[in-house]
Amino acid sequence: MTFTPEELRKLILPLFAALLLIGAGIFLLSSAREARARAQAEVLAAQGERKQNADRLARIAEEERDVTEKLDVYKQLKRLNILGEERRLEWADAVARIRNQRELLDLTYRVDRQKLLKSVPGKPGTVDFFASTMNVQLDLLHEEDLLRFLRDLRDSGNAYYAVKSCSMRRTGQAATGVTITPRLRAGCEIDLVTVVDHGAKR
Amino acid sequence: MARYLLYFTAEDHYVYASSGARLQLEAQFPGDDAGVVQFRDYLRRRKGALFGVVADLAGEDFQEEQIPLLRGSDREAVVQRRLAQRYRDTRLAAALSLGQVTTAQRKNERLLLASFTSTQQFVPWLDALEEAGARLAGVYSVPLLAPALAASLGVHRGRALLVTVNRAGLRQSFVEDGRLRFARLERTADMQPPALAAFIRSETLRLVQYLVSLRALPREGASLPVMVIAPRGERAVFEQTLVPDGRAAFRTVDAAEAFAAVRLRQAPEGTAAEALYLHLAARKPPKAQFASSGERRRYFIWQLQRALVTAGALGFAACTLFAATRAYEAHDFRTRASELAREARDSAERYQRITASFPVTETTTENLRVAVLEFRRLAEASAQPDPAFIHASRVLERFPQVELDAIQWSLGRPGEPRSAEARTPASSVPRSEQAVQIELSGQVNATQRNDYRAITAQVQAFATALATNGYQLVRTQLPFDVTSEGTLTGDIGGRDSSEAPRFTIIVARSLP
Repeated sequence: MTFTPEELRKLILPLFAALLLIGAGIFLLSSAREARARAQAEVLAAQGERKQNADRLARIAEEERDVTEKLDVYKQLKRLNILGEERRLEWADAVARIRNQRELLDLTYRVDRQKLLKSVPGKPGTVDFFASTMNVQLDLLHEEDLLRFLRDLRDSGNAYYAVKSCSMRRTGQAATGVTITPRLRAGCEIDLVTVVDHGAKR
Repeated sequence: MARYLLYFTAEDHYVYASSGARLQLEAQFPGDDAGVVQFRDYLRRRKGALFGVVADLAGEDFQEEQIPLLRGSDREAVVQRRLAQRYRDTRLAAALSLGQVTTAQRKNERLLLASFTSTQQFVPWLDALEEAGARLAGVYSVPLLAPALAASLGVHRGRALLVTVNRAGLRQSFVEDGRLRFARLERTADMQPPALAAFIRSETLRLVQYLVSLRALPREGASLPVMVIAPRGERAVFEQTLVPDGRAAFRTVDAAEAFAAVRLRQAPEGTAAEALYLHLAARKPPKAQFASSGERRRYFIWQLQRALVTAGALGFAACTLFAATRAYEAHDFRTRASELAREARDSAERYQRITASFPVTETTTENLRVAVLEFRRLAEASAQPDPAFIHASRVLERFPQVELDAIQWSLGRPGEPRSAEARTPASSVPRSEQAVQIELSGQVNATQRNDYRAITAQVQAFATALATNGYQLVRTQLPFDVTSEGTLTGDIGGRDSSEAPRFTIIVARSLP
């Protein structure tokens, strides 16, 4: 079938109207589809949030118990100054005090520079665990002196003392009778651990 | 949009406007040249109007023919040839299909060729329509519309004669299985209803006789159903005259009833049964009509325009409908989402209220938890040397002949023996990640140096005693290499060495 130019002119407007109507319909449909997809996503997000909140609410009694229990530990860490910045002067004081109190013959130590042990993500800030390694050398009259030294160090606080290694060996020096001669020589490597809570209230 | 119908009779021509269920008389024109002039004048005010022509003339010819059963352009060519053979002027000629018929030789199609004996009377009127740019839907004759009227009155199958009293005269249309077979128009003078009924009866019986002679009806058989549409309020009078007999089974229908059947609510005063045909021509036009495709071109373009807009509107409506369902679903989702969000907020608020009564902390709950948990983990992976030294000391008390030179305590991952010269195969290493390890080095006193067997036995007994209380033996280095892989040396009878034989024992205990 062929159309004359005049007939084609007559058909152009209806054709344009038809295309316009169909285009408008498609636009409406796609808009409605998008709106539906957005609304569906909102439902999924709201469902997830509601479930999370409901679960959290269901666990609240357990959480309260948990918080109370952990708070005791946290306070203890705070009281022992394990929680907070390093206190190197207090460590030096403690070592000197123990040496004097226990009348240890010779005691040398070296504390290396602090290094990050672990950084745990928290909310709102991280909880960082730092360690400074202390190498200590002691002259001993008796094996028990080493254990007493370590116990006293633990009790002095200001860090958590994680002993990595300890060795004892005979000095082989014969007793002179004039001066006190150490029978044993001990060496220990100890990590002085401190915790910095970046989410704590200042 | 109103459709205009030119009702074409032998005398006068009438223009009706059909709109919905209403038919309105617009104009009346005499059938002469003056009428054509008036008609042209009338059309000036209706440029591009939609027109149909309904002819109600006596001179309409019907001829039944058979052509080979064909399709498409072949059929069209054969039909046009037959029409040209039958009629001198084929401008207003039509071929109505009456169905297939199988002969001994082939399958044929039965056709009813129809045209007017004089088409010239139409020419000036059709030309006027063409000049006015009117959209001509078709040129129909009343008989072509008769099957539709019969169907509206309930006659769908079988043979029937439809009789109406039109402005042009008494119209009789013979219909078989919903298809027109024959029709005639008989002029009627002004008659009273009883006389008109009697005239109908006599004319009907004559036509039946004629149809029998044409073999369109069987000579013997049941009486032919004849449906007569009586003028309004004259049904009772007609029924008195039109009683069924052996040849014609009359059934009279009141014009009001017929109007209702074709859903025509309003017709102009003075209009007879032709209003039924005119309304059907406007609302249910049959496919068969007399105008050529060229004459109907404007109407075709108009139909195409409407089809395009309708398709667009339908597409828009379908999309809108789908969009509405999607929008409704979206609304449902949003409502559900807001309900869920409100429930989530309620839970969060309740949580906040309850946690507000928790003990006051210096940090957040989250940091409190991770700080303590991680510290515990660290503490659990740590150990003090005291228990290991105490264990070694207690074992040593039971072996006075053993003297230790050195003891080394360390914490780390359990591994393979550190020395490549391990003499005793390591026992199973604790599996936990962290283990305490003690390495004891010493010598065995109060035993002759060359008494290998005794020294070895004592060292092994000492190692076995150490590998208790949760400790496991990792490695034992004996003073003498008694394994097949090593070198065994001795100095039998020689001078005793002052140095006692040395050994190394490593035990480990995994952290709980």
